[in-house]
Amino acid sequence: MADKASNAPDEALSLEPRGEDLLAICFTAMASPCEVLLPSTTAPTAALELGTLVAQEAWRVEKKFSRYRSDSVTAWIHENRGTAIEVDRETASLIDFAGQCFELSGGLFDVTSGVLRYAWKFDGSDRIPERAAVARLLPRVGFNKLQWRSPRLLLPDGMELDFGGIGKEYAVDRAYDSLAVRCSAPFLINFGGDLRANRSPPHGPWQVGIERPDTDRRATMILDLNHGALATSGDSRRFLLKDGVRYGHILDPRTGWPILHSPRSVTVAASSCTEAGLLSTLALLQGARAREFLEEHGVRYWLLQ
Amino acid sequence: MQLESETRLAKAAHTRRQLMAASCALLGAAAARGQEARVAPADSGLLENWSVDSALAYYHEDGRIQAIEPVVNIAKLFADGQALNFNVTFDSLTGSSPNGALTSRSAQTFASPSGKSSHAYTTAPGQLPVDPHYQDDRIAVGGNWTLPVTRVDQLSVGAKLSDEHDFFSVTLDASIAHDFNEKNTTLSLGISEEFDSLQPIGGAPVPGSDYALFEKTGHKSKNGVGALLGVTQVITRNWVSEFNVSVDRFKGYLNDPYKITSIIDSAGNTTGYEFESRPDQRTRKSAYWENRVALGGQVSTGLSLRYMRDDWGVRSDTAQLHLRWSFSNRERYVEPTFRWYRQTAANFYTPFILNTEALTTAYEASDSRLGAFHALTYGLKYAQKLPGLGGREESEFSVRVEYYQQTFNVRTPTPAALQGLDLYPGLKAALVQVGWRF
Repeated sequence: MADKASNAPDEALSLEPRGEDLLAICFTAMASPCEVLLPSTTAPTAALELGTLVAQEAWRVEKKFSRYRSDSVTAWIHENRGTAIEVDRETASLIDFAGQCFELSGGLFDVTSGVLRYAWKFDGSDRIPERAAVARLLPRVGFNKLQWRSPRLLLPDGMELDFGGIGKEYAVDRAYDSLAVRCSAPFLINFGGDLRANRSPPHGPWQVGIERPDTDRRATMILDLNHGALATSGDSRRFLLKDGVRYGHILDPRTGWPILHSPRSVTVAASSCTEAGLLSTLALLQGARAREFLEEHGVRYWLLQ
Repeated sequence: MQLESETRLAKAAHTRRQLMAASCALLGAAAARGQEARVAPADSGLLENWSVDSALAYYHEDGRIQAIEPVVNIAKLFADGQALNFNVTFDSLTGSSPNGALTSRSAQTFASPSGKSSHAYTTAPGQLPVDPHYQDDRIAVGGNWTLPVTRVDQLSVGAKLSDEHDFFSVTLDASIAHDFNEKNTTLSLGISEEFDSLQPIGGAPVPGSDYALFEKTGHKSKNGVGALLGVTQVITRNWVSEFNVSVDRFKGYLNDPYKITSIIDSAGNTTGYEFESRPDQRTRKSAYWENRVALGGQVSTGLSLRYMRDDWGVRSDTAQLHLRWSFSNRERYVEPTFRWYRQTAANFYTPFILNTEALTTAYEASDSRLGAFHALTYGLKYAQKLPGLGGREESEFSVRVEYYQQTFNVRTPTPAALQGLDLYPGLKAALVQVGWRF
């Protein structure tokens, strides 16, 4: 989710035409530009109403799970470390999901790995941490160290929970569900590049532009989407460079050190944005084996080295 | 697609299903069931825009023909699985081409097919007679449309046109393919029809007629019909095998209008020539088996075998092996290839006619392409990924070199007077091709 603190969501929604066939309702959430695309034949009042539904769901999820907000469930969980608490159903299902991903990924996907940021500051410099500094943080990482039996959670002292890795994609799916019951027209929801569409508009598939992280020579890649979700995980802007070795910001929670030789970005197509986001993150965590991982799992993907 | 060991893929598929189930449980989304995102990815060329495959080849035979061949192939895949494909090939050939006559101890003079006196040519004693003015430019266009009819059936139709100054050809083909066994097996059936029109320079010779009389008739034609039945089978996760049998039959003027056969006397002197005379029908049957095997993360190999026989008595065997080795994270690969080919002579193939037999032979031809020979081809290809054009992820640049060597196995006893002459020189040729796919 957001990398910089956002104390209040930007409440403004704007309506913009997109070519001849589409209408976009735009807003900002989770520090990303968000939009809902609808056919241009939609009446403006209906479009604003539907756009508001989506925006409100995005702001709700952001407010509830952001680690930067003092009034979020995440903050409340952290305030109550060391004691058993009872979480609501939505939080419980997210923690269940995080647990399943932890198991299925062999420990690579770990929502408790956020504490490693105390050792690693990815500011493009060559200041990599001391081995001892990283080693001191490792005992505070490990989903298996939580005491979790839905809905009761006990987060040990020193540990943190961070839903940032799946929050934006989860928000896309939640917004999608709330819109799908109200809207039978074709639509596409896009939160900063994580997106999902119900079906293609009459003029042809949705044309999705995926921006290349370090725009040197490569132009935007255009994909055609009929329906389903796309999520992109990337490694480009935040890194450290020392002695010719590039330390990307994707860290292996088992060692505390960056995964080497990851692709710069992975875009995955799946039926839900959460699934797509998870697969793209897991792929990046495989480092040099990212492509093999995606091939083995029969995933539709686009990879940039 | 990367083929891995069966347990690894099965385990990955199981993990994938569990991840999907976990996401579904989280979202409670019934919509996720059975509906996958259908997206056309840019980097494999499957996009609304056309993907282009272009190549330029230079071919050179030792002392014979050289050719330049640019080719462009464009393809488009639609979201519903329909595919369209167009290609254009241009060939420009120049050089010397054997005219079928036998090497002699005396000089030989030949008229060119056009009959123009300026194009008459003389062959020195002991040299293989070749027409040094051979020149031909050819343009060919082709197209193919594939349409999925059901989830497991595909229909494909295609057409090809080829035009040279003395030859025009149209081919139409159609095929259907049916997948079953969870797409591990595909059965295909195809038919094709070809119409060829020949307008040889100077007219088409009457088959078997005397060369000196220059009896020519006008335009000629031939037609062919073909059918193919094939099966492709995924045998293991690492091994895909394809087997097909095909038959074709051509009828009409099947002679090469420019080839002649030498008539020699018992002393080995050439006393005359006649135009070749082939039957007006040819039926060919062939069986083909191809295997593609993945040997590990970076290496894959392929072996194919082909057997052909026709009712002219020609039988041929082909074996081809290639190995592809990818490195630098699959950014580049090298691919050595090797091909072995062997052919037996047609029943009526004869490198020369003894003047005592001239009248008894019904069909005859001395075109070396109907003779018995074997050939070896050695090739090496290098390819690497480059940045793509426009909105594409990447493109592929490749360079390929091939060396071809053909050796004749003529059974006809050499007349005593011609011993010591190299009557059946083989052929050596090299090919260099650069290609760019984007």
